[in-house]
Amino acid sequence: MVRRSVRTAMALVLTGTIMAATAARLSAQQPPPPPKAAPPPGWIDPRNPPKEDPSFTPARTRDGQPNLEGQWGQASDIITYSIEDPEAERAGHTAISGQRPMVGRPIIDPIDGKIPYQPWAAKFAAFLHEQHTGPSKIEYLDPVSRGFQEGIPRINYQGAFQIQQFPGTVLITYDYFHTYRVIPLDGRPHVGNDVKLWMGDSRGHWEGNTLVVDVANNNDQTWLQIVGGFHSNAFHVVERWTPTAPDHIVYIATIEDPKVYSRPWKLRVDFRRQKVEEQWESAIWEGNKTPEIVLSGPDK
Amino acid sequence: MATGLAIAGGQNQNNQAMPRTADGKPDLSGIWQVMNAAAWDIQDHAARKGVPAGIGVVIGNEIPYKPEALARKRQNYENRATADPESKCYLPGIPRIMYMPYPFQIFQKPDTITMLFEYVHATRFVYTNGTPHPPGHIDWWMGDSRGRWEGDTLVVDVVDFNEETWFDRAGNFHSDELHLVERFTPLDRDHITYDVTVEDPKVFTRPWRMSMILYRHRETNLQLLEYECYAFDEEFHPPVPR
Repeated sequence: MVRRSVRTAMALVLTGTIMAATAARLSAQQPPPPPKAAPPPGWIDPRNPPKEDPSFTPARTRDGQPNLEGQWGQASDIITYSIEDPEAERAGHTAISGQRPMVGRPIIDPIDGKIPYQPWAAKFAAFLHEQHTGPSKIEYLDPVSRGFQEGIPRINYQGAFQIQQFPGTVLITYDYFHTYRVIPLDGRPHVGNDVKLWMGDSRGHWEGNTLVVDVANNNDQTWLQIVGGFHSNAFHVVERWTPTAPDHIVYIATIEDPKVYSRPWKLRVDFRRQKVEEQWESAIWEGNKTPEIVLSGPDK
Repeated sequence: MATGLAIAGGQNQNNQAMPRTADGKPDLSGIWQVMNAAAWDIQDHAARKGVPAGIGVVIGNEIPYKPEALARKRQNYENRATADPESKCYLPGIPRIMYMPYPFQIFQKPDTITMLFEYVHATRFVYTNGTPHPPGHIDWWMGDSRGRWEGDTLVVDVVDFNEETWFDRAGNFHSDELHLVERFTPLDRDHITYDVTVEDPKVFTRPWRMSMILYRHRETNLQLLEYECYAFDEEFHPPVPR
């Protein structure tokens, strides 16, 4: 029991980048056949979702909001390692780690499932991809592996979270890295443009049964995936959280960044209701050895 | 208690009382912050460079260290620039995070009180649903908080600490046997008396108490921002003009 929280936190980070680095080194010598991909039962393919029941009406909170309260986790088989092509990009990793290949490809627009970078940005993204198993500088290592905040939308496909609703506010607390979001619903403007935040500045309103959250004031420090996936401080996200059944939320994020992407693009995640559990401490920074291991590993 | 805050009954007739929730408890929701120098030193201290002077928050001012613990406290003070866990950006623990110079926000439901801190996005859940502490001991930076209402006072029992955190920047410390009883008593709409009994038989000869006031932020545009302490020295600089 002792120190398990720190250990769990380290394990989460370590299984990402360090396993990736080890996989790349081993697979370079002797490429093993990748395990067969088999999504888990109940998987919802973001790119081929089931039809929704248009007549569904969610329960209401005491103050009349559609009720999203409870604990939720993604059912889209997404792994933060890669949101563009996890099966292929993680093949070396899954071959040596024995982990199940995960297949969720959440980008629903453009249709090829890839982040629509501007040409110069595509080159830099490819460079970061090459670097991800053995970064030459610490700044080419995934920021989450370094112990930094995830940013929006990545935190939403990292792990479970709880939603609490109050008059005028939606609160989301995440299992991973004691991260939270306070989403005011009172129509107040975003904070000043000079305030850049790791988790952005969220402003919400209800459109029918859909919680629409405008996330601005993002800094340029977070990535969308371990294999790269960068943006500038012009990154802007509009999230739509729509309950489509008592135990199901459809989440669609529209993402734009005129400095880095050639067009706005969309990412879908399906959340399924989970049993509500106490959110125990997830200390990430305190136990994180990933940067020193990756940057000064035995073969460096 | 001679030097305690002289507040009888937790209500001041001249001011509006704390609002109440639907279940009749004082509604502590809001953004709060102390206005004292306890973050630097919980005891009486004169100003030093970069450190505001402060009247201590320790009742009676003396902290009853065991002799060997007092020696360790003095050593901590000498080495505070690098030995202080805050200098490493670690989660600061309870009660320290309650009086650091950053705002925190309380959200209240009948069975859980959620406290969110601007400092490193720390969270704290105070369960008021009658559940006991989980089987322990568990080494947590922020401990395990179980609360109950005694009249209009929220009483929170906190255990399951590690031995890494300090009380302040002056080296006051504890062991993993730290046990806190916090009492949040509404004084009026915008003030809460925050009283903490500290017990740790490995470090102190007897329990001791701190007392201070939490002030409600009334700026209408105020919200929690971020202080991601660990990220300041190491940033990612993408090739994009800022």
